[in-house]
Amino acid sequence: MSDEREETARIYRDLGPAVYRRCLRLLGDREAARDATQEVFVKLLRDTRRLQDRETVIPWIYRVATNHCLNLRRNARRRGEEELEPALEVAPGQSEARYPDRQLAQKVLSRFDVATQAVAVGVFVDGMEHEEVAAALGISRRTVSRKLDRFLANARKYLERSTS
Amino acid sequence: MIPCPSDLKLEAHLLDEAGSPIAPHLSSCDRCRARLEEMRRLGDEFRREVYPVTVDAVVARPRSRGPLARWMLYLAPIPVAAAAAAVLLLVQPRGPGDDYLGVKGSGLTLAVFARATDAARAVADGESVSPSAALRFQVRPAVPCRLWLVSVDSAGTVSRLYPAAGEGGAEMAGPGPLPGGVLLDGKPGPERIYAVCAPRAIAFADLERAVRAAAGAGAAAVRAGRPLQGLPGDAAQATLLLEKRP
Repeated sequence: MSDEREETARIYRDLGPAVYRRCLRLLGDREAARDATQEVFVKLLRDTRRLQDRETVIPWIYRVATNHCLNLRRNARRRGEEELEPALEVAPGQSEARYPDRQLAQKVLSRFDVATQAVAVGVFVDGMEHEEVAAALGISRRTVSRKLDRFLANARKYLERSTS
Repeated sequence: MIPCPSDLKLEAHLLDEAGSPIAPHLSSCDRCRARLEEMRRLGDEFRREVYPVTVDAVVARPRSRGPLARWMLYLAPIPVAAAAAAVLLLVQPRGPGDDYLGVKGSGLTLAVFARATDAARAVADGESVSPSAALRFQVRPAVPCRLWLVSVDSAGTVSRLYPAAGEGGAEMAGPGPLPGGVLLDGKPGPERIYAVCAPRAIAFADLERAVRAAAGAGAAAVRAGRPLQGLPGDAAQATLLLEKRP
């Protein structure tokens, strides 16, 4: 194996677990997470300098893996493959009042674009503060708030329709 | 009370425990320590079960290339080029060498490697290769299936790459190298390889018709490489474009 390939393998061995954990959390299926991990890492390898920046690599992995896996969930849903759409586990500390029905919220989630889904997942599933979500996704805090407000407003409408 | 850190912060902690700002919280929070332990367990799972079967594909993947569409099966890099009318299958009984390359596809993993002077060189989708390059394949199907490997060129000629003879495709019970290899026909131009693996036999005539319909209408169609239509719904397929240039 050449030096470059050995270095790539080493980076994969070190950072692959973070990608795998993220993919498994969002996909809920080990085989799908394994495949997604490989695909995400191939994307990450496009910028090896960034991969070697220990300060910023974790948020970058989070962003790339989250977008990738949410796209997989969306595509699976379009194809009618329910197995890739497990209910997302709500983060510890998230009150039931903010996230009243997981199944319902998941249905609402899938109605939004991936960027909005990523914000909602960051807040409700990962339990992150708005600032942390903004930093992880590379967007402003204002954008996080706006997307979250829109998400919640539509989630409530959906809830009202489904219960009326 | 200090709120529990997010998974993101726990990931950063795992990457640099010595300089972790959340270490004080972890020392006093049983729940977070349990979360961290679970994350470590998943890390071990990655190193034990995921890394060994994916590292070749990750290492082989050219860094400057984007991923192909999900339906595609990646033919990992190698100086390969599909043979058009004059494909020759070369019997080479030895298995994959150190330059084995594997890339995940839709329910199928394909490994491709080509012989160069003294080593294999990886090629990506759309990459240029010698018009007379030699290549080999290895396939890892998700389930037992019957495999076809075919190519189509800008003249609309569909060539059987594997199996060279017989009907219905070659039975693949599990992962393994395909016997023989392919020598390109020496003609410059685009060539697209399609791999199809289905639980049931597919007649070559049906596959040829599907390939011709998808990519048999000239160089632009070959380069566009639309997915094959009209195949059984449970058939996994993948494709790779090669540009044969002297």
